[in-house]
Amino acid sequence: MEALIKPELGLTIWTIVCFVLLVLLLSKTAWKPLLQAVAERERAIKNDRESAETARAEAEKVKAELDARLAQLRTEIQARMGEALQTAEREKELLLTEARKSAASIVEFARKEIEAQKLEAVRELKNKVAELSLLTAEKVLMKNLDHRANTELSARYLAQVEKERPDLKMSA
Amino acid sequence: MGLKEILEHHIVDHIWSWLYFGPLKLPVSKHLLMMGLASLILLVALPLLIRSRSAALAPFRAMLEMVVLFLRDEVVVPNLGRKGAAYLGYFSTLFFFILTMNLLGMVPFGATATGNLAVTAGLAATTFLLINFAGIKEQGLFSYLAHIVPKGVPAWLYPLLFPMELIGLVIKAFALCIRLFANMIAGHIVILSFIGFIFIFGSINAALGLGVAPVSVLLVLFILLLELFVAFLQAYIFTFLTAIFTGAAMHPH
Repeated sequence: MEALIKPELGLTIWTIVCFVLLVLLLSKTAWKPLLQAVAERERAIKNDRESAETARAEAEKVKAELDARLAQLRTEIQARMGEALQTAEREKELLLTEARKSAASIVEFARKEIEAQKLEAVRELKNKVAELSLLTAEKVLMKNLDHRANTELSARYLAQVEKERPDLKMSA
Repeated sequence: MGLKEILEHHIVDHIWSWLYFGPLKLPVSKHLLMMGLASLILLVALPLLIRSRSAALAPFRAMLEMVVLFLRDEVVVPNLGRKGAAYLGYFSTLFFFILTMNLLGMVPFGATATGNLAVTAGLAATTFLLINFAGIKEQGLFSYLAHIVPKGVPAWLYPLLFPMELIGLVIKAFALCIRLFANMIAGHIVILSFIGFIFIFGSINAALGLGVAPVSVLLVLFILLLELFVAFLQAYIFTFLTAIFTGAAMHPH
């Protein structure tokens, strides 16, 4: 059994030679391509992750921008709407006052017109009445030249006439 | 044929002839054949496996890759540091070489080359060389020798500790050699002993021998599975300890 624990030096040399050769050969033929493949894959994965991350950051940036724009638009819309309401209110007030004013002026103008017409009518009537009275007086005078009595008479007649026809009253 | 002969037949190397290279007398033996076979398998199978793009081989490629990456990320780099990745080829080869030789010992008609003290001594010698080479390359010869003794040791202890640490370096490699050898051979001896039980009890009484046989076979099966596990474990331990020792030589803290 001593063969079990008596190392054969020649085999040790074989082992060392064999192992060293194996290390040199396998490093070239096996481990290098393996590690290259692994590194390539790791790089590809890293690239993918980086591009995904940049895409996400981009998307987030765009979203933030859109949100900001949206908020801005919302405030703008509110401001515009408030403004529009105010303008409408003012416009309404303006229109109303304008309308009132023009209505009042129309009324005033109509009243003045009526007044003027009335005065005109009165003056005409007065002239006619005076003419009539003169003609009447002339006739009366022709008949009765008692001036004083006639004047009194005419005044009385006139008063009588005025009393009978109040619409011809001249003290309007 | 006694148990001794059986054991010797199954465990001890068979030298068929001798080769002479000047003063060197090299044996041609069964274990050398197994070692050559393991080398051939590795040299042919690994490059083919790595280069192949076939989908059927993809799982094996992935396994191989996982083992190598595990060695890199969990064994080599933590112990040797970033620069240690350059030594990955050595460690991967060491692991797969030992593993293949261990597993060849479990194949019918195979023999366990790693169950030979000469073979493990050869592996331990390369590890010893690697430890010193890496240490000297990393620190320079003078610094390496100066750092062999741990820091913080009083000056007067140096004359005592320096030879001890030098011996320690050799002992580390020696322990590696013995550990692998003993682990690989122990399983075989136990298996042979269990099978031997059948004949020992059978020589007392044939019925007794038959009765013992199923128990023995079950135990043998158990030890075989254990050996399968140990084949992987010892390959890993040898590699891992080599990494630890090399790391300690490179970074003496």
